[in-house]
Amino acid sequence: MTDNKGYENIDPVTLGVIAGSFNSIAKEMALVLYRMAYSSIIRESEDLGAGLFDIDGNEICESDSTPMHIGSLPGYIDGVRHFLGDNMNDGDIILHNNPYYGASHTPDLAIIIPIFYEGKLVAFAANTGHVLDAGGMSPGLMVDVVDVYAEGKHYNAIKLYNKGEKNEEIWRHIFENVRTPKENKGDVEAMIASAKLGKKRYLELIERYSLQTVLAAQKRWMDYSEEMIRKEIAKIPDGVYKAPTGWLDDDGRNYGQRLRIETSVIVNGSDLTVDLSGSSGQVETAYNVPFSGSTLPATYTIVRSILLDEASSEVFIPQNSGIFKPIKVEAPLGSIWNPKAPAACTARINQVQRLADQINLALSEVLPDKTTAGNAAHVHFNSYAGIKEESGDYWVYIEVNEGSYGGRYGKDGLDSVDNLVANTRNNPIEELEMRLPMRCNRYELREEGASAGKWRGGIGIVRTWEFITDSLFTGEGDRHTDPPRGVFGGKNGLTGSMTLNPDTDGEQNLHAKLTNYKIRKGDLLEIRTPCAGGYGNPFERDPQAVLEDILDDFITKEKAKEDYRVVIRDDLTIDEEATKQLRQGLEVLKS
Amino acid sequence: MIRLGVDVGGTFTDLVLTLEESDQSWVHKVPSTPLDPSEAVINGVTEICEMAGIEPSEIEQFFHGTTVATNIVLEHNGADVGMITTEGFRDILHIARHKRPYNFSLYQDLPWQKYPLVRRRNRLVVPERILATGEILTPLDEEETRRQVRKLKEAKVSSIAVCFLYSFKNPKHEDRVKEIIQEEYPEAYLSISNEVLPQYREYERFSTVALNAYIGPKTSRYIQRLEEVLKKMGLKTSINLMQSNGGIATAQVAAEKPISLLLSGPVAGLIGGIKAAKKANFDNIITLDIGGTSADIGVAPNGNMRMRHLLDTRIGQYNAMVPMVDIDTIGAGGGSIAYVDEGGIFRVGPQSAGADPGPACYDRGGTVPTSTDANVLLGRIHPQSRLAGSMQIKPELSKKAFDEHIASKLQITPLEAAAGALKIMTHNMVNAIEMNSVRKGYDPRGFTLVAAGGAGPLFACDIAEELNIPYVVVPPYPGITAAMGLLSTDIAYEKVHTLWGSLTNPDIASIQNVIKKLEKESLKTLTDDGLSEAQIVLKRVCDCRYAGQGYELRVDAPEGEINEEWIREVIKRFHQTHEREYASQFPDQEVVAINVRVIGIGLVQPEKEQSFLDQGKDDFNVNNYPSYPVYFWVQDKLEKQDSTFINREDIPIGTKLLGPAVIQQKDSTTLIPPSCTATFDEYGNIVIDMKKKLSTKRSKEVLASLTK
Repeated sequence: MTDNKGYENIDPVTLGVIAGSFNSIAKEMALVLYRMAYSSIIRESEDLGAGLFDIDGNEICESDSTPMHIGSLPGYIDGVRHFLGDNMNDGDIILHNNPYYGASHTPDLAIIIPIFYEGKLVAFAANTGHVLDAGGMSPGLMVDVVDVYAEGKHYNAIKLYNKGEKNEEIWRHIFENVRTPKENKGDVEAMIASAKLGKKRYLELIERYSLQTVLAAQKRWMDYSEEMIRKEIAKIPDGVYKAPTGWLDDDGRNYGQRLRIETSVIVNGSDLTVDLSGSSGQVETAYNVPFSGSTLPATYTIVRSILLDEASSEVFIPQNSGIFKPIKVEAPLGSIWNPKAPAACTARINQVQRLADQINLALSEVLPDKTTAGNAAHVHFNSYAGIKEESGDYWVYIEVNEGSYGGRYGKDGLDSVDNLVANTRNNPIEELEMRLPMRCNRYELREEGASAGKWRGGIGIVRTWEFITDSLFTGEGDRHTDPPRGVFGGKNGLTGSMTLNPDTDGEQNLHAKLTNYKIRKGDLLEIRTPCAGGYGNPFERDPQAVLEDILDDFITKEKAKEDYRVVIRDDLTIDEEATKQLRQGLEVLKS
Repeated sequence: MIRLGVDVGGTFTDLVLTLEESDQSWVHKVPSTPLDPSEAVINGVTEICEMAGIEPSEIEQFFHGTTVATNIVLEHNGADVGMITTEGFRDILHIARHKRPYNFSLYQDLPWQKYPLVRRRNRLVVPERILATGEILTPLDEEETRRQVRKLKEAKVSSIAVCFLYSFKNPKHEDRVKEIIQEEYPEAYLSISNEVLPQYREYERFSTVALNAYIGPKTSRYIQRLEEVLKKMGLKTSINLMQSNGGIATAQVAAEKPISLLLSGPVAGLIGGIKAAKKANFDNIITLDIGGTSADIGVAPNGNMRMRHLLDTRIGQYNAMVPMVDIDTIGAGGGSIAYVDEGGIFRVGPQSAGADPGPACYDRGGTVPTSTDANVLLGRIHPQSRLAGSMQIKPELSKKAFDEHIASKLQITPLEAAAGALKIMTHNMVNAIEMNSVRKGYDPRGFTLVAAGGAGPLFACDIAEELNIPYVVVPPYPGITAAMGLLSTDIAYEKVHTLWGSLTNPDIASIQNVIKKLEKESLKTLTDDGLSEAQIVLKRVCDCRYAGQGYELRVDAPEGEINEEWIREVIKRFHQTHEREYASQFPDQEVVAINVRVIGIGLVQPEKEQSFLDQGKDDFNVNNYPSYPVYFWVQDKLEKQDSTFINREDIPIGTKLLGPAVIQQKDSTTLIPPSCTATFDEYGNIVIDMKKKLSTKRSKEVLASLTK
């Protein structure tokens, strides 16, 4: 590390100052985007990302919105380069979303603005946002589609503005070919405002500190983040760490045919490779994962979360391309993690969640105090749609149903929260019902309760919708068959489910993945998301903690006895003696 | 009129007493008594009355700022709260918005799950459901309600929050539950969602209402107790409390809605700063209050405080959807620690050495370099020139700390390390000012920076230089700006109602109805407080957005008859606000008013201002004061210049001083860099003119600032 890196001359103070600016620019870009946006998936769920990138597409800084967007933009910029080469000018505003050219998936549109200084391209300001409808074969989401063309329109580095001039024809074409033109247009306007702001702020930095200093500072910060993560990787003994085989439910067409996931983490010095060979081949529906836009960012996110946990770290370590450099992924072309065009690949969130959990489980033995028991590692990602009677317009609502975290060393798992590589927000019920023909009858923790462990698993949610009109429903879910794993003696978690008209004569279990399923007026749809696995032997759990869980209905009294061997009296106090005997009896049995 | 302001902070309780007739004022500081904050108040009141030679019974107005409510939240020691909520929705508080605070962390905690405002065992449901339209789908099960209330009584909760979906559309069920609780468990403190916050978004509303219940019993007990003991001392007037919205409330209103007290302290500081700058004839104001561990930053264009965006109003990690003045707090203060991290990056704060062990130079066991040590090394705080009674400092310890922890690691001198630490802090504050306030479309070149707190006036000129701010104002008592602010405040209550009505195709009658109702309620509250009609001002605010957007912006609505023209004006103002916030507007889009607000203001400020005309020594002469070398940034280079150290109380009104100079007073130090001129005005302010200094900045930098 003695070669000239080009930033030896920046004083440490200027370096800190510029870093603070990068961080606040990304935050400000995201704020403008979600506050201005129209569709609830962006403005309420914050399913978006925004940041600055160097001319090679390296990430300088990105907003702390949802992790799947973070780290995907370098791929988009590669894609734009593929189509435009050097045909970029000051004043261009570029729209891109092709998953075979870097996009995360088709509905995640990106707005990319090349930044010019003294006539030269110096950086990009860019952002991504999930739009309600991309003009594909069905409104909102879809799984069972024939190919990538059916997912929606692809904008291959299309210039919405060319040298500052708006291309009115292309705007008309784009928004006249989606089901939610008003929302999409509002979202794209918000994305443009956000990217323009990024450009303005970056140029201000250059004016203030000179181009050379800013370029040097961004390089220094990428090297810093790389150094910090390499240090952590190097602490893990070299070797191959393999996760137990995981199973996805199906591809959304061939129900009953489970899909295999094999995951090995290979550590070699300060390099870390995730090897996914042995996993399922690509599938015939959209249940494939775009490699650079989704497989890679998900891997970066989980590895960073384990090794440089933000909550436990004293200093702020920026998420930039430096973090990505030591991390590689091996996934054969033609596999579910790296499909060949023109395979459809828009439905990928469940797989990348599982990928993150598999990496977590693979490292469980070697990093027991940095990993968790098996997580919910899924999303019941649902879309509901219909036609408004008065206007004839479409209404579309895309819903992210949260998961739960596995038990952790020294801590219980988190309940009812967005999981792993997703971090969106739910929509207020009082906001949804004011504008949609749906009514929420229940939104609570699952009554089956937590999975046992010395540190228990987190609890998933149950949500019930009642439909006021006939509606179209698409479910992009998983984890109805393979429960989250307990570790170190903790119990496995609970699988998720979807039920139509529960507790009625017409009760019907639904698959996790459905495309354009017709729901009738008056129908009820109940969604249960998985409860995560427990960590450690439940018989070692503090009896007081078991009692507290009973008082809060996180577990039942019966479960306390069965799973934890803690005896609770009728007056809700711990019977210490009986508990001791029960727990000792077990020791005897064991020996 | 005799008026008293008492601000209870974490370390000190500050008091200001003014006698309008004789144009005199006294300021005083006593140590706070966290276990029972009223003790310090009593001590302070007794002592300041003695200083002024008056009896407590002569005090005519009593204004109080308190962190009682805030501390309950931050220390997690509020009441055991019970909740009655809609069947099917027991866990709204547990699920929250299902977004975790950190993206990249498996070991983080969710504060709302780790420290629940209402434990799950005490969140009980009853059958009832109101629809988005306000119609009743499921009638309230009164028998079940009664059973659940009894359960909560058995569980010995001391307060109960009642939170039903859509109660802002139809309060009938909540009102009935309130009656039942009053029958079954009249001792319980009540927090009813349609009374506390009739506004949509269930999680934010439930959280606010639960928080109100959580802090309610303790806060109202504190207020009651304080009133009692003050009465015993002979106080005849009732007490008024500072609220987060920048107005004051009577004790009774505050006890019913303690949630409105959460930002009490910092807001009073902002108001005190605004007042000082206004007296010095400045309108556009940025205030900076730097204490030991943190800095509060506020921005007031045209002297008006900005309100924080509704969804950003939180205390700790809890949402509290109540109007709060937009004040930003960052971890930068006199005790902030400088260090080099594992990756070789030079950082300052947010960790602080606090008061104990404190900076290295205090020689009380602190060995790590702090911001104060940096100021000592640069000569800005001088051991020989300290004021009587202040602490003896040891510069060699500051040097040692910077040498060991920074200089040796970065291969720079301790002096460079100290200067660097201050520059990093300055930039952090500049960034915060830009990000949270100035970037909302306000140009700093038209603003004045008011410096408060012990360390604010040390940093102010460096910050002003970075932001191209032409003037800095240091109020007469920078260490007690909040207490001063208490005496500059009017009574203000904000009432809100969710309207969700189009302005582009308006139902004028319903808008009229809602505003009239809110105005009537506001009038009643204010007349109940004993205010006359001449003292009452009503203001209107609409929270608007483009149809289809998810977030509202606050728009000041005009007075007068609500007709088509009025609506057009609101729409116009919304477009302008959107343009300023987001740099864009969509004139052909439909505009919707989500919430309507009425702010009822009761004017209680006196007209007359205190004068400082007789301050200072008659034979004041700069040459009688010692000079010591101090390091300054001159055109981005560190330069040593001899500077005069002067005691502030010696300086007569009207004096002009050219920097470099250091002005010392009991609890604060003001740094006047070279090329800056300080004037001492008749209100006791130091007004520092930065223009000459700014004109010598590198030309390129000025160019850059012009394009901002």
